[in-house]
Amino acid sequence: MADACQVVRKQDLPPPGGYKPIPFKRVPAKQYFSGYTLFAGYIGMTIGAIYLYRLNALRIQKHEVEMRSSKMAIYPMLLAERDREYLKQLRRNRDAEAELMKDVPGWEVGTYYGEPVYKLVPQDTLVEPIFHEYYAHTNPVDWFRRAYIKLRS
Amino acid sequence: MSISPFLRSPFTDITGGMLSHQMLGKCQKEEIRYMDCLEAYGLDRGRVKCAHIFEDFHECQTNTKQFKRFMAMRRERDRQIADGKLKGDNKYVSPKVDSY
Repeated sequence: MADACQVVRKQDLPPPGGYKPIPFKRVPAKQYFSGYTLFAGYIGMTIGAIYLYRLNALRIQKHEVEMRSSKMAIYPMLLAERDREYLKQLRRNRDAEAELMKDVPGWEVGTYYGEPVYKLVPQDTLVEPIFHEYYAHTNPVDWFRRAYIKLRS
Repeated sequence: MSISPFLRSPFTDITGGMLSHQMLGKCQKEEIRYMDCLEAYGLDRGRVKCAHIFEDFHECQTNTKQFKRFMAMRRERDRQIADGKLKGDNKYVSPKVDSY
């Protein structure tokens, strides 16, 4: 057996001077702020943001007040214009009815074949028309545009 | 307020009337006028004596006459259009938007 082991073999060994030490210690990131500074920064930024928010909110509030005032100022005029147009249209409807039903026997304007709508109200009372009556002489397209306005808006 | 002599049915006999036009309804005047009339004449005579007042109240409640008026006018207008009496811009009188 000794003859077979004549060859000199190189054994795997540590490098001279030994292995490098294993870096097992934790390497924490570099800390720019301490905990207390972070809290202070948070509070400071929040206060700054609240200040800016308040500035903006005040501006928006002012705009809202302005808008509301404008709407309230203009509302009576719009209402009056609507009422004016309503009354004008009542006259137009009356004239259209007179023109339309002049050949119908027994028809009087504002009545149903001579029978008044309300019997006991004075002659000059305004009897408000229902929707159908108001739109009686209307183009069907305009009729449906008004009648189904809720489906469109 | 009870509405029982004024309007009577098995339902008003077992329940109280809780709604009327007196709660600032559109037909407040017509209704109170009819009820006053019925109170004065009683139910049976009132039906005859207050017929006109009832018709006003009925009209206010149902708008039947106004609707009949509309039906008659529309029928007449459609007939005239079909006959060719109304042509072009004379066919219809449309109100402006937002006036009603």
